[in-house]
Amino acid sequence: MEITVNGVAQSIAAAEPDLLSVLKSNKIEDPQMVAVQLNGQFVESSQYAATILSEGDVVEFLYFMGGGSR
Amino acid sequence: MIDFTTEQLNRYSRHILLKDVGVEGQVKLGRARVLVVGAGGLGSPAALYLAAAGVGTIGIVDNDQVDISNLQRQIVHGTKDIGRSKVESAAEAMRAINPDVEVRPLATMLCADNIMEIIKDYDFILDGCDNFPTKFLVNDACVMAGIPFSHGGILRFDGQTMTVIPGESACYRCVFRQPPPPDSVPTCSQAGVLGAIAGMLGTIQTAEALKYITGAGRLLTDTLLSFDASNMDFRKVALRRQDDCPVCGARPTITELTDAEQTVCALKK
Amino acid sequence: MNSEVIINARKDLHGVSCPMNMVYTKVALAELGPGQILEVILDDGPPINNVPGSLKREGHEILRQQQCEDGSWALLIRKSD
Repeated sequence: MEITVNGVAQSIAAAEPDLLSVLKSNKIEDPQMVAVQLNGQFVESSQYAATILSEGDVVEFLYFMGGGSR
Repeated sequence: MIDFTTEQLNRYSRHILLKDVGVEGQVKLGRARVLVVGAGGLGSPAALYLAAAGVGTIGIVDNDQVDISNLQRQIVHGTKDIGRSKVESAAEAMRAINPDVEVRPLATMLCADNIMEIIKDYDFILDGCDNFPTKFLVNDACVMAGIPFSHGGILRFDGQTMTVIPGESACYRCVFRQPPPPDSVPTCSQAGVLGAIAGMLGTIQTAEALKYITGAGRLLTDTLLSFDASNMDFRKVALRRQDDCPVCGARPTITELTDAEQTVCALKK
Repeated sequence: MNSEVIINARKDLHGVSCPMNMVYTKVALAELGPGQILEVILDDGPPINNVPGSLKREGHEILRQQQCEDGSWALLIRKSD
């Protein structure tokens, strides 16, 4: 199926992909490193594995970025 | 009456010529008070451009000293400043650019027990600190005090920023609920950062501060702007206030500031 | 022509080049109320070629543009509402 991840179309082979596996396939090993929006709604990190994606879903990974001073 | 001197009219002429700033906008800048948190990579360009812009009162808070490894990106400091207090070094550079502005160097570390007292004197806070506990502390304190602020973060070739108007737009905790576990997210000191990225993001944050003060344009509210400078890709992700946000939601669970997660702060006290 | 126009303020910008002539014009306009009239004297050349267009882009109205005997220009501006 086709989904959009951070603005870019991605093809997913799995029939019922869950959010956690899509995170992993996008090289996000530690789910706590990002906040995730699915179709504009935030998903709690505890729900990543239980959230099944559908055709056309729009996923945004928002990364923690803490640098600035030192 | 407009009481600019001829010298000031020359100094600020490029602002005054702008339709959306003009004489009135420059007067507002002169009356505004902005606090820069961190005199580092983001705070350096912010401090310089805020001073150059004629922002009347600029506070800058940092407890660090200038180190030679800072100079690749922290352009408010010079080689001669190594070992000096960062805020004293920054204040000197700011006053050199524009003697009109009042600079308040604050050589302290923001903590739960001093942040409200410090930020209450300012109209806008520009967060350029280097750690998550302070970023969350700035967010929570600004939301509680109702003071608008700009969040900024950089890493490697990447930057992100959002502008928060408490009570109106999504806050940092609407997006990121709590600081990531220590060491799960690398900092610039571990992972590195391209020096100019600090300039790119710090000047975006400064432009937001100047826009907020003058009322020009549309702010980066309810929006996370992020960029990857390795390909120069810029993206905006739309955000909304979250009803269940622990600090700005309908039933906040964070109602007072604590230093519980302020490990760095606790160490330095 | 237009003898009834009441000029609320005047600014002589002889010898003031771009862009400071526009800066001084904006300062003079900022001190007026909406709809009030400002007269400025601008040099021939770039000043008269640039300032009226800049003022129009900001929403002000140019009521009259008239060359004086010495070659400079008198510009009558109605401040935007």
